[in-house]
Amino acid sequence: MVQLKNIRNFSIIAHIDHGKSTLADRLIQLCGMVTDREFQDQLLDNMEIERERGITIKSQTICLPYHAKDGQHYLLNLVDTPGHVDFSYEVSRALASCEGALLLVDAAQGVEAQTLANLYLAMEHDLEIIPVINKIDLPAADPEAIAAQITDDLGLEAEHIQKCSAKTGLGVDAILEAVVNYLPPPKGDPEAPLSALIFDAQYDSFRGTIISCRVFQGRVKAGDTILFLSNNATYRVEEVGFFRLHREPQPELAAGQVGYIIAGIKNISDTRAGDTITLKERPCATPLPGFKEAKQVVFSSIYPVSTDDYEALAAAIEKLTLNDAALTFQKDSSTALGFGFRCGFLGLLHLEVVQERLEREFDLSLILTVPSVNYHVTLNDGTNIEVDNPAYFPDPARIARIEEPFIKATIHMPERYMGGVMTLCMERRGVNTSYHYPLPGRLEFTCELPLAEVIYDFYDRLKSITQGYGSFDYEMLDYRESDLVKLDILVNGDKVDALSQLVHRSGARARGLAACERLKEEIPRQMFKIAIQAAIGGSIVARTNISALRKDVLAKCYGGDISRKRKLLEKQKAGKKRMKTVGNVEIPQSAFLAVLKSEQG
Amino acid sequence: MSVPPPDAITPESGEGPPGLYVHIPFCRSKCGYCAFTSYPCLPAPPADYLAACAQEASRIAASDWVQARQFATLFIGGGTPTIYAGEQLAGLIRELLARFAFVPDAEITVEANPNTVTREKLAQLRAAGVNRLSVGVQSFSDRLLSAIGRSHTQAEALAAIQAARAAGFENLNLDLIYGLPGQTLADLRESLTIAVDFSPEHLALYELMVEPGTPLAREVEEGRVTLPDDDAMAEMESKAQELLAGAGYQRYEIANFARPGCECRHNLNYWHNGSYVGLGAAAVSCLSGLRLKSVADPTRYAELVGKGEPPYVEAESLGLHARFRETVIMGLRLLEGVSLAELEARFGLTPRGYYGTTVERLVERGLLILNDDSMRLSEQALPVAHQVLAELV
Repeated sequence: MVQLKNIRNFSIIAHIDHGKSTLADRLIQLCGMVTDREFQDQLLDNMEIERERGITIKSQTICLPYHAKDGQHYLLNLVDTPGHVDFSYEVSRALASCEGALLLVDAAQGVEAQTLANLYLAMEHDLEIIPVINKIDLPAADPEAIAAQITDDLGLEAEHIQKCSAKTGLGVDAILEAVVNYLPPPKGDPEAPLSALIFDAQYDSFRGTIISCRVFQGRVKAGDTILFLSNNATYRVEEVGFFRLHREPQPELAAGQVGYIIAGIKNISDTRAGDTITLKERPCATPLPGFKEAKQVVFSSIYPVSTDDYEALAAAIEKLTLNDAALTFQKDSSTALGFGFRCGFLGLLHLEVVQERLEREFDLSLILTVPSVNYHVTLNDGTNIEVDNPAYFPDPARIARIEEPFIKATIHMPERYMGGVMTLCMERRGVNTSYHYPLPGRLEFTCELPLAEVIYDFYDRLKSITQGYGSFDYEMLDYRESDLVKLDILVNGDKVDALSQLVHRSGARARGLAACERLKEEIPRQMFKIAIQAAIGGSIVARTNISALRKDVLAKCYGGDISRKRKLLEKQKAGKKRMKTVGNVEIPQSAFLAVLKSEQG
Repeated sequence: MSVPPPDAITPESGEGPPGLYVHIPFCRSKCGYCAFTSYPCLPAPPADYLAACAQEASRIAASDWVQARQFATLFIGGGTPTIYAGEQLAGLIRELLARFAFVPDAEITVEANPNTVTREKLAQLRAAGVNRLSVGVQSFSDRLLSAIGRSHTQAEALAAIQAARAAGFENLNLDLIYGLPGQTLADLRESLTIAVDFSPEHLALYELMVEPGTPLAREVEEGRVTLPDDDAMAEMESKAQELLAGAGYQRYEIANFARPGCECRHNLNYWHNGSYVGLGAAAVSCLSGLRLKSVADPTRYAELVGKGEPPYVEAESLGLHARFRETVIMGLRLLEGVSLAELEARFGLTPRGYYGTTVERLVERGLLILNDDSMRLSEQALPVAHQVLAELV
């Protein structure tokens, strides 16, 4: 049994791409958890999509055995955190499980928006911070300047700063020593009533939900009956243990420790990050602070391209929600697209991850409709309703008042991009802008924006305006009154409900024209002329035409290339299968999301 | 690679007599748009390559599959077959005619490039039994010829055609291309008019295809070359047809025109998805549904054949349904379409029964014409044939 003084619970926090996963892998390797031969880059990011995008979505925790220079054995619990603004609540729960954090800063790029956002989160949880300057091997690295940023601007102590290259391994051993020497051990009384914080959960098809938790008080072992304070659900514990590269069962988890609990929980939605676990027989007096229900802010309907795949889609979404408690869904139907599901997401990245997982892991061909936020609508008779689907937008004559969600956006960038970013925010109906200089030449710009203006391509536009140097973070603010209209799209005279969107009246005409232009790019020429129109109410506000296809045939086909030409046609046929026929027009999947891309897109 | 010997192949019922093809993968220079297997070789192509083709011919000719058949056509294509000397080519042709059994009126074609033929050379071919010559004219405009990197000139093309007639060729094909960089409708009309003045029995009119990986594809991508747009191409196609129809040429395939009775029998066999034996590097054989492709590198080809090994690098044997679909899409390239009786005899399947509503919808949309005897593309479907074929493949 390891004593509390020999346990350290910590996270690595960083701006995206500052090397968090690489450092985690290096720590794991250094603690002898894997041989060099087994060492696979970025062990912790094990989802395919995460690997491709280099971001962590689903956190993985690992318990590292460490023999320190003081001769003692330690257990270092590295609690991994998701690395994107959509998942800031999940990050906060992971941080609440720790006593300390490594604040990773890129030696060339320095402090960025999420560096600050994560630092503030860590400070809220009273974590001890060890600043780590990473990538010191890069030619553009300037560790001294970054160290000055950390001390002068972030107010952190110079003596604790570590410098390393996670890629080469340089300086990583000193980080482990710093974790042992500077971060405090956990406190807690193993004899007190159990209180444990759920910071993550994953679904295993054999064992049910695997809860990741931090025990603050008391102890839990197999055979105990546990109680979830948020919903009073009770379960009998089957197994507890530590996360190594695989799960490693232990006799118990006691105060101060981080590990997993398996309790035959078949439904992950009962297991909520931030909830408190206690024992049914001897419950704790109060829940741990900070619990919030996951809040979906972006909504979109998901339809199978082929209506035959509806059952497969239903099964796939069901299965996905086992592992993704933040995803909500309910049945939906569309005149153009048939039966599907209205889904709620934490943000657009979450939406894209869900789409990619459904397509890759379940081999489905999908159409997602234009994402929408949730609007508060007050009708003339005083009834309040919530609308997150343009299809259910009430007749404007019945609407007394509409409110839309606003966010506070924080943008970090070199000063020279300020003009462009300011213009972008103004175009997106931004208000109450302010800025200050955290460092000479660098700007922190804040602005209140309607969430609806941010959800599709705001981040892409920001990146292009700032040539990749701008970083973005946001938090939800409140609901504010707005003047919205429903913009419909007609293809050859038929309204395509799945292409409708709610937009601010002031920009409706421009948005309609942009949508028509985007559709013109996305819909391939067909054997007849196609008219695309945008309409508000009964009146057409924009239109464009796609001229008829006049040529589509290969000139030559002789004995030597029959196979190759047949394969080309088979490819064309497969492409047609990924299109949805609306009326007699074939519309590719991509068109349904493209309508929201901006005019400059 | 291991493939069943031709002897082991069961014949497909209802297919016609096979064709024999020899691929000559050499040219004087490689054209910027060409995606065929062809290697530039100057001053002279390798003689041992022809020996290798002859050696493969003798091996294949001994098989039961070949022994059981009479061939209807022989086609020497490329590349540029006429890059070889007249006696070399004539020698190969005589050998093939001796080794394989041919029907009495077999069609024997050689492809030629204008600047590789003389009247003497053509007379040698004619004497060896060649009765059809296909000349790769492409265009009669020197400006356009040099724009696509062809090594010959208008004068050479005219001379080649005159030489062919003088050598006694009464069945002559001219290849022309439209949609060349900078080509106008007037340019095309001029080339066609010159071509028609020679009264060739057959004309192939190809749309320029930008094949991935060719120098032309790169130039188009980088914006150094601009091609006529779809609308201009459609216009050229329709005007060309008018002109050719007026001159007595019947369009019988998407890109092929002939005086009645002068259709290319060798190529008709491809569009009927019949059997053929292909000799030489990169050549494809189709033996009653088994398709074999030979290695593309001529040196490697000669090596393998020299060692007595099969030169194949790819084999494909499609199931009955896939062969049926392939036969339909190939046959629809012909204006007469596919014969329902022939499909039924070969596969026991009918388009209506097999494709069901897919065919009905195409008929309703006016793209397919289906009657008791045949199924074919409508006039309006021809320029956009792939839209239809992609539904049937």
